[in-house]
Amino acid sequence: MPNATKIQDRDELFKQMFEAKQRDFLRTLVTTEVAEEHRIAPCGQHSEPLDRLLLYFNRRPLSERYAIMTIEPFKAYRVVALSGQRGVPPKDVDNEIYPSHIEAQHAIFLRNVQELLES
Amino acid sequence: MAQVKLFGYSDRISVKPGEVIQFYVNADGTETAEAQLVRLIHGDQHPAGPGHVEQEIECPVNGRWRVEKQYTQVGSFLEAADTERRLALEGSFTLFAFVHPLWPQVGMRQCLLGRWDNDKNCGFGLGIKQNGLLEFWVGRGDEVDYLEAEVPLKANMWYFVAASLDAKTGRATLYQEGVVNRYNSVLGKVAPLDLSSHVSEVFRFRPKHLADTPFLMAGSRDWHEKRGHFVSQLYCGKIDRPGLFDRVLGRDELDLIRSGHRPPAKGMLAYWDTTHGYTDQGIGDTVTDVGPFNLHAKGYNRPVRAQTGWNWSGRNDCFRLAPDEYGGVEFHSDALIDCNWKQTKALKLPDNLRSGAYAMRLRAGPGTGLGEEYIPFFVRPKVPTGRIAFLVPTASYLAYANEHLSFDAPIVQGMTGMTPILTDIDVEMYKNPEFGHGCYDSWADGQGVCYSSYRRPVINMRPKYRISSMDITWQYPADLSVIAWLEHHNYDYDVLTDEDLDLEGVAALEPYRCVISGTHPEYYSERMMDATEDYIEGGGRYIYLGANGYYCNVAIRREEPWVLECRKFGDTWKAWEARPGEHYMATTGQKGGPWKCLGRPPQKIMGVGFVSEGFGRSEPFYRMPDSYDSSLSWITEGIEGEIIGDFGLAYDGAAGVELDRYDLTLGTPPNAKVIASSGGHTDNYITHVQVQLHQHPGITGSYDYRVRADMTYFAAPNDGAVFSCSSIAFGQALPVNGFENNVSRLLANVVNAFAKPGPLPDAARPEVTSPETAPAAS
Repeated sequence: MPNATKIQDRDELFKQMFEAKQRDFLRTLVTTEVAEEHRIAPCGQHSEPLDRLLLYFNRRPLSERYAIMTIEPFKAYRVVALSGQRGVPPKDVDNEIYPSHIEAQHAIFLRNVQELLES
Repeated sequence: MAQVKLFGYSDRISVKPGEVIQFYVNADGTETAEAQLVRLIHGDQHPAGPGHVEQEIECPVNGRWRVEKQYTQVGSFLEAADTERRLALEGSFTLFAFVHPLWPQVGMRQCLLGRWDNDKNCGFGLGIKQNGLLEFWVGRGDEVDYLEAEVPLKANMWYFVAASLDAKTGRATLYQEGVVNRYNSVLGKVAPLDLSSHVSEVFRFRPKHLADTPFLMAGSRDWHEKRGHFVSQLYCGKIDRPGLFDRVLGRDELDLIRSGHRPPAKGMLAYWDTTHGYTDQGIGDTVTDVGPFNLHAKGYNRPVRAQTGWNWSGRNDCFRLAPDEYGGVEFHSDALIDCNWKQTKALKLPDNLRSGAYAMRLRAGPGTGLGEEYIPFFVRPKVPTGRIAFLVPTASYLAYANEHLSFDAPIVQGMTGMTPILTDIDVEMYKNPEFGHGCYDSWADGQGVCYSSYRRPVINMRPKYRISSMDITWQYPADLSVIAWLEHHNYDYDVLTDEDLDLEGVAALEPYRCVISGTHPEYYSERMMDATEDYIEGGGRYIYLGANGYYCNVAIRREEPWVLECRKFGDTWKAWEARPGEHYMATTGQKGGPWKCLGRPPQKIMGVGFVSEGFGRSEPFYRMPDSYDSSLSWITEGIEGEIIGDFGLAYDGAAGVELDRYDLTLGTPPNAKVIASSGGHTDNYITHVQVQLHQHPGITGSYDYRVRADMTYFAAPNDGAVFSCSSIAFGQALPVNGFENNVSRLLANVVNAFAKPGPLPDAARPEVTSPETAPAAS
């Protein structure tokens, strides 16, 4: 249970409790099939497990989200982490170069899944 | 060596041959740039299209330009016209104002009112300390005396604040009282709050004044070695009815002003009545001083007027009903209307310049990325020559200008279902407040941005740019695909802009047999709506080549057409929400927001209106029964099969991104025909809030039949007609396969028929009956 003495906004307390339960459930949805489904089509109509995972990842606080940085349009991309702080630019997370944004998107998905499993 | 960066803007967006356009360029890491006038043909680098296409054009200013670092004053404030230095007070004085701080704990000092030089520490000021405490200070250059309140100001609450200095005794007094009513603040009366503070102290000295320090509200004078004078200590929040007296006002006198009484005449030097000057048509940037010396204050970077004041009662929702309750003038530390850079170059456009989309291309250093800049503008003909006009939706470009959605909007990834794809230009914009914001952003203090301007570099009004949150071209670069299509087919077309339409009305459209819209003409002023409706009613033929158009009312001052006002609220999807009571635009006095909520759904003019948006995948259109009506066969002539547009640069389909739908209940003319409709959209496509009274599961693409784009056609009076494509992705399907595809063919069929003199092919069978009045079959 979150520490109520450190959080003034009581809404945040419930949010943290809700999300902890949500993560417990979402971890059960992670399968190799879901990962493969995302690899093939990161956008579009998805199965419910993949949809739920993506909705969770896409609604994380901005400071916990990744983005794709274009090195050369349609040829080379990198994964970066958003700062979530106004005016502070994103940071590189590694040196990996992806030949398409689809592959970069999938790399981000795998990172998000890993962080979910470890949370 | 510093990285080379070039950014620029022009003073005008729509110019005619023979007229002068001025360019303003900021350069980092270089003192020169190679300039080349170009005609822009295509701006989407998607590999399935023709890529970026431009033509270099001879002009007198092509070649090497001297460029330099330029500085931008961000933040809005008011400056009093005090040429006789009446406010350089050396004797006793009192300052007061009603204030509604938005971000008192920002961590930087904010000056509310004062004649203060922040660099030389001279003068006096009343402001907010870094920690949110109200503070009064007096400086004589070498030293500053400060007096601070005991309780910090709270955000989004109204206060009456004052400070006085008795020149004889040196006694400084601070007055802080909350003026909260049932409506005006974020918290009401039941919240146990300590809003009051009254403190006093003896200052050691009186203010020393510099000759040229201006009296400012919401900022103070500062200086930088390279930049010269500028304004810092910018304030975020509202100020209502501030004043200045040349004597100490007693507590009882301040109590009376706090309770709404007019300040006494004795000793009044200035009293800026922020409620003065409202008309039925709005209000300007000058705040009237109703004191004895008429020291009117001029707004810089357009402080927001038409905002509720400290005494807003909640009964009246517009300044037109109760101007006395609309004294709030709202300031933002990162507001930007005009960079006001030094002019880099001026160009008198060659007399023989053909109408079209142009840009001044600048290159330095590597000549790519941040080392390449395009300053776009549109050239209208001296006299209309073409049969066809492409109406460039510049009002919508302004609304989206420099949007920061990928960085600052928590909703955007959930909305698009996509990860943002950034470029170094996006990051450069994000790092520098000098680029300002668009109407999809909030200012740093959390309030929505209601003004946008093109007198600053607008990075997304550029060829090659892709909107980072959606990975497609959007607005300007997407519309270049329509220009490219017109070029490919050698149509004799002119371009004109929303700015021209707003200024000239229907006269701007009348010379043309056929007018084609941009892909997303979402933001439309009333003058533009009227002109478009009158053009069609008068026999004009209009192709609405997009979706979610004619959606939101906006306002543009005739004398400052580079600025757009937009208020977002109510029954719509919105990036921010205007406060209650602040839904009317200061520019015109009109209510902002969706046209549907004002009684003019887009269906009434275009036959279709916004129904859904989604991202990541588009779909094709499928022919509907009306397309097989022999009288309408001219629309689909040469098209084989049922499917139209199973390709495109925007998610591989002609129907996608945003979709419009035929809806008789919202004003689709009853004679409208549906030529083709899309379907099979993913569940990322959600039906718009306006098309249902309640949100519930099952209103997304795979559940709801309404999630579709309807390609419609109807004949209008006097041989006029409207063809609506109903999809943003339609325009981006045109360039596929070298413009040889069935979307391109269908559009050509319509354009050819619309631009041809005489009645339309289906005119032999006019149909104006409505289902309700049609005679029953016998």
